[in-house]
Amino acid sequence: MDIQKYPIKVTLHKRGEMIYFSQLDMVRILERALRRAGLPIYFTQGFNPHVKLSFLNGLKLGVDGSLEVVLYFTQKIEPDSVRQKLIPQLPEGLDIIGCEVKN
Amino acid sequence: MNFAQFQKPQRYIGNEWNVVKKDHAGRIKICLSYPDTYEIGMSNLGLRIIYSLLNDFDDVVCERVFLPDDDFAAFFRNSQAPLFSLETKTALKDFEVIGFNLSCELNLTNFLDILSLGGIPLLAAEREKVIIVGGGIANPEPVADFVDVFFMGEFEDSAAAFVEVLRKVKDKEERLKALAQIDGFYVPKFYAAGFNGAKYSFEKKYAAANFPIRRMFVKDFNNAPHPDKWLVPYGQIVHDRVQVEIARGCPNACVFCQARAVYRPYRERSIPAIMDILRKSYENSGYEEFTLLALSVSNYSHIEELIDESIDYFKDKKVGLSLPSLRVDDILGRLHSKLSSIKNSSLTVAVEAARDCLRDKLNKKIDLAKLFEAGQILRALKIRKAKLYFMFGFSDETDEDLAAIGKFLHELSYKTRLNLNVSINVFVPKPFSLWEGEKMDSEETLLNKRQIILNHAPAVRYIDISISSIKKSIFEGIVSRADRSFSRVLLNAYRKGARRDSSSERFNWDIWEAAMKEEGFDWHFCLEAKTENHPWNIIE
Ligand code: SF4
Repeated sequence: MDIQKYPIKVTLHKRGEMIYFSQLDMVRILERALRRAGLPIYFTQGFNPHVKLSFLNGLKLGVDGSLEVVLYFTQKIEPDSVRQKLIPQLPEGLDIIGCEVKN
Repeated sequence: MNFAQFQKPQRYIGNEWNVVKKDHAGRIKICLSYPDTYEIGMSNLGLRIIYSLLNDFDDVVCERVFLPDDDFAAFFRNSQAPLFSLETKTALKDFEVIGFNLSCELNLTNFLDILSLGGIPLLAAEREKVIIVGGGIANPEPVADFVDVFFMGEFEDSAAAFVEVLRKVKDKEERLKALAQIDGFYVPKFYAAGFNGAKYSFEKKYAAANFPIRRMFVKDFNNAPHPDKWLVPYGQIVHDRVQVEIARGCPNACVFCQARAVYRPYRERSIPAIMDILRKSYENSGYEEFTLLALSVSNYSHIEELIDESIDYFKDKKVGLSLPSLRVDDILGRLHSKLSSIKNSSLTVAVEAARDCLRDKLNKKIDLAKLFEAGQILRALKIRKAKLYFMFGFSDETDEDLAAIGKFLHELSYKTRLNLNVSINVFVPKPFSLWEGEKMDSEETLLNKRQIILNHAPAVRYIDISISSIKKSIFEGIVSRADRSFSRVLLNAYRKGARRDSSSERFNWDIWEAAMKEEGFDWHFCLEAKTENHPWNIIE
């Protein structure tokens, strides 16, 4: 059975020390931040469930810039609430500069 | 500094989640190191325990440093910049104390390399800083010349006394004198040591120093601190999961085992205490993978209950749980229905010897009968491959014993359809193991035995066999058993370029052989002589 998923697009600014972290690292950073925040994470179905995220753009290692990522939740949730809960869980150098429902 | 010029720069940044950064002013500055790469060092639970233990003292700041990879090390060498800590990029030489976790004998040149990159004199006698070494190290003698003070055993209960000395006593010599009187601390320069014929003797040079040295053990393991503000690296490390120590020590008595003797007696944490650690560590880290850690998880008294409770807690969170040292009869027997709900079950079996009679002599108590009949259960657990360990090089093993390894593997894969990943290691008579007094087989004997094993090993795609290098095993024997005179060899080999000896590609026997020759170190004596006592006998 498919669980309904609610996407939210988050725009992050990567700066300072965070520029040395790769896209793969970003997956881990965001997944763990979501878990610590206790947000209702949508997991992929199947034998090996993992957090679903999709990046809308890439950023080279060592470059300061913004990164768009879609996060998925199992409940309808206000973008502002995602932002509020996520901010304290993100490392220094990773700022949320946009957060909106993704259509 | 532009870290992007180095391979995997994440590991040099030091901004992990839960990292501790304190102002240095007015604090005792300690840098802690595991002398291997970041990925390996950060996988060591002992290092993490001590990191949080020391940082719990308000007037102590404890930071970390690991062995920089080749490109980063070259940067320090070429630029003459001194190696610095991860947290605040403070030069190593600006710390009062540097603590090393030496748990692997093959890390000794890495240990020297970190000192050298930090611009710190290698020999204890030539520096003002205090270098303290602890960890799993069983025989301190081979590194004695480079270390000001060893701590033998488990540090938790002694941390307060250690910090108190650093607080009150500022002069190095006085610090060492004060530490030398506290249980567990061993200041090698306060003892003259060496072979006198077949007898290794110690003579105290400072009357108040401990003798012999007592190895320390945590008394109340149930309440022993566990780092529940788990440091979360952003890049991948070797053991990329939260490790929760459910028991310390091992109630079994395999004759070749050093770990059971170094962590003693066997102690367990209660289920409520473990669950409390699991919860806090998850909330603080958000890690997606946990492991319940013990030398032998199967021996944990309430293992079924513990697995139930942990699965219950983690189920909806989609957190993986692994139990790395479960006995095979448990995986296939009483626990298999529980394990089917765990994400990553895996099968690792330390078979050690293929025939029962030799296994009995090794006191290795495992019931392998079930394994051969387990095809169905394993398929249900989605286990397709198994990792197996064997050991050879025992004085009374027969050609039949050696040939039996191949037969065993063949039969097992035929009956269970498992892919086998097999690691065959040489027996090294490690200090404090029950067989510490055994001789190590000679190189020639070992090469012969190795050939017999290989001649009988099935050469098929689904059985992957790796057998340890004889030279490297002999080196491991030497460096774990050597006496104090080995320090000179170590320095000589380091200067000749010996580095990262734990890596098979980097280990270079020729360098070590030349160094031993030049320093007049008789390694045959070290491995084969019947002596009255051992260089590590200063430790009780
Ligand atoms: S080898 Fe394993 S089971 Fe045997 S004594 Fe050592 S830790 Fe225990």
